[in-house]
Amino acid sequence: MNRTGSLYVTGSSLFHRLDGAVKLVLFMAWTVMTYMFLDLRVFVPMLAVGIVLLITAGIPFKRMAFLFWLMIIFTVLNAIFILLITPTFGTRLTGTDTPVIPVGYNTINAETLFYVLTLSAKYLTLLPISILCIFTTQPSAFASSLNRIGIPYKIAYAVSIALRYIPDLTEEFRSTLNSMQARGMGISKEDGSIKQRLRNLAAVVVPVLQSALHRIDSVTNAMELRGFGTQKKRSWYSGKDMEPMDWTFAVLALVLLGVGIWLKVAMLKGFWYPFS
Amino acid sequence: MQPIISFQQYGFKYKNQSEPTLKDITLDIYPGEKIWIAGPSGSGKSTLAHCMNGLIPFTYGGEATGSLRIGGQNPAERSIFELSRVVGTILQDQDAQFVGLNVAEDVAFVLENKAMDRPQMKQEVETALNLVGMLDYIEHSPYELSGGQKQHVSLAGVLSTDAEVLLFDEPLANLDPASGRKAMQLIDDIHRKSGKTVIMIEHRAEDVLQQAVDRIVLMNEGRIVSVGTPDEILSSGILRSYGLRPPLYVDALELAGVPIAELKGLSSPRKLDMPGLKDKLDAWSEQAGMKEETAISPALLEVRDMTFGYDPLHPVIDRVSLQVGSGEIVALLGNNGAGKSTLSQLITGILKPQSGGLFYEGQDMGSWSIRRRGEAIGYVMQNPNRMITQHMIAEEVGLGLKVRGLSAAVIKEKVEAALRICGLYPFRNWPVSALSYGQKKRLTIASILVLEPKIIILDEPTAGQDYEHYKEFMDFIASLSRRGMGFLLITHDMYLALEYAPRAVVLSGGRVMAEDSVTAVLGSPDITEAAHLKETSLSLFAKANGLASPEKFVQAFINEEKKGKGHE
Repeated sequence: MNRTGSLYVTGSSLFHRLDGAVKLVLFMAWTVMTYMFLDLRVFVPMLAVGIVLLITAGIPFKRMAFLFWLMIIFTVLNAIFILLITPTFGTRLTGTDTPVIPVGYNTINAETLFYVLTLSAKYLTLLPISILCIFTTQPSAFASSLNRIGIPYKIAYAVSIALRYIPDLTEEFRSTLNSMQARGMGISKEDGSIKQRLRNLAAVVVPVLQSALHRIDSVTNAMELRGFGTQKKRSWYSGKDMEPMDWTFAVLALVLLGVGIWLKVAMLKGFWYPFS
Repeated sequence: MQPIISFQQYGFKYKNQSEPTLKDITLDIYPGEKIWIAGPSGSGKSTLAHCMNGLIPFTYGGEATGSLRIGGQNPAERSIFELSRVVGTILQDQDAQFVGLNVAEDVAFVLENKAMDRPQMKQEVETALNLVGMLDYIEHSPYELSGGQKQHVSLAGVLSTDAEVLLFDEPLANLDPASGRKAMQLIDDIHRKSGKTVIMIEHRAEDVLQQAVDRIVLMNEGRIVSVGTPDEILSSGILRSYGLRPPLYVDALELAGVPIAELKGLSSPRKLDMPGLKDKLDAWSEQAGMKEETAISPALLEVRDMTFGYDPLHPVIDRVSLQVGSGEIVALLGNNGAGKSTLSQLITGILKPQSGGLFYEGQDMGSWSIRRRGEAIGYVMQNPNRMITQHMIAEEVGLGLKVRGLSAAVIKEKVEAALRICGLYPFRNWPVSALSYGQKKRLTIASILVLEPKIIILDEPTAGQDYEHYKEFMDFIASLSRRGMGFLLITHDMYLALEYAPRAVVLSGGRVMAEDSVTAVLGSPDITEAAHLKETSLSLFAKANGLASPEKFVQAFINEEKKGKGHE
């Protein structure tokens, strides 16, 4: 997280220039596509396109490393658990059973292995597009484009204002924790059992929450005194007007979604298993 | 001329309170005036400000009596937005006021709410930023700005609305002395250039009066007790009777026995026209201005050659050494970013130094854990609300002992002893919420005292408190130091240092740039400039009146203050 509180990384790639609301539409179309199918033939091209887009955006890997590994670890754990808990789940989808790896109480079969592969590809398809949307969108520009597609500006602005004050709150939390630590009520190993440390952590929440409420009060006053929420409409300093490119991508997203639905209905109905 | 703001026998009672907060207020403020509304905490001055900017009645409801006209109209019949076009408010909390993700967005906030077109908005933002000299920072995020700079941005945001009245709610809170001086200067410039009406709510006379004001409105217990020019108010000597502190040189004149009622031109530290004044003050400085011999106490805490920083070429803390002895109060002065808080984190063990040593009674603390250090060196945060986690007073104080596994009887005994020292014993069975801000502050000290440290680090101990509470708290700290407790005061309040700390360490850019008596430090222009401090009005006054030894004059003032003469 950078000092402005958002994860935004400045740049000028295609995705950076794309309007925030269009990105949201694209992201939603992408997500719907992903959830509709259980077919590797759909996921592999989507994953490839996603990775190309991600690479061209030029986001330093260090910045997205946390989110990246988090999602990878989640996917891997998910795969392992499915294999261990339901080693023959694939049979239910294909009707065949090809035993491969014995695990004592049961045998993992090829169908389940392929199912897990497909499922992991499904989750990973979402990875590049989510990272792209999060790291290339300036929060206030995003708020402004949300407002344009019909979201009330008070709700759209909430995104921006939350990002503005999250770093303040984390800083407050950290300094309170430090002062508690000096009184022997920290959350490090020397401060006692896990239970005691959790209790200490919970105690810190009280003053931080109180100060957050106080902060909300003064920020609300500050905003009201400057006329927020009194008019029906509001304009935005950050953000820009829709350009032909934005329209193109919005239409593209919808077309993609249409094609997807047609594919789903007409051709790729269920789980694709090439070896049966 | 029509007044722009007019209160007539105005009173206000908040919805859930039984007593009115404002009583019988009659006040006319005329266009182009510069007004200072003064008063101790709880005097009703913030409520008065809320009435002017529309937070009352639109956010805080209640019953009003009498009449109030703003720009000739009754505010209750308008909206808070319409009012904001007449009265622009700059809040005390610079972070709460700064709602944009960068400078430009923040200045544009009002314009956005007016639904102004983007091209016109960009132009207006630049014009407003130019007025306050912040155009170079247009892309900066609030985290890259100092408190003073954030305030400049807020001012630009209000200027872009063309409001006729600028209302400043405690503009000096949270600013270091140099930034405070700049803020007052900027306000004065804008006032002069634009002819706008300026209203300031403050309790620090010394700092507000750095630039001329037209009238002072003095409030106490919800009423206006006096209105007059600064000269009139200062000569009448009534500030102190309402818990406010006059500028230090006026204090000094009183201590020296000069009859201030007969003096004219007290509002700034200039040459006064009074026969024999110089001789009288010189004699007083000579007689009272002896430097106290301070017995050198053995060092309890010693920081030796400490260096910290991830970039070896620009360390955050660069070979810093300092000592705090038993019973000693040492002030750690310096501007924001000089490394004061980093140093305190190094001492408490939250950060680990790259090199250098830390000694407690001669023992090397380098390998001590944070917890063990906490038993030797207590750390008290600026805002007590950030430290208090328990509901009941006795529990809060005993918390640190409980986690150490002491028996209930021992805890009770120690807690009661600490509460007695802090004057909170009668409240031991009360909930924390029943305490005032100052009492909470003492409660945090009590919860540190039970751990029996020999040194306490106080971070900005007096921020946001008016003079009466400030003095009460610091006298309490001084009494603890007489019991042998050592204190390191981290502060940018020079008056605090001047009066309570015999010795000061000045940090600038991570280095110790001076370690000397506070009088000497504040008397040196090089040091004060580098550390964002400023010359005190005492020495300015002494120089303006051609006194023989300004330093002795300052020392005489400190000595007499310490004796507690005159004002009690």
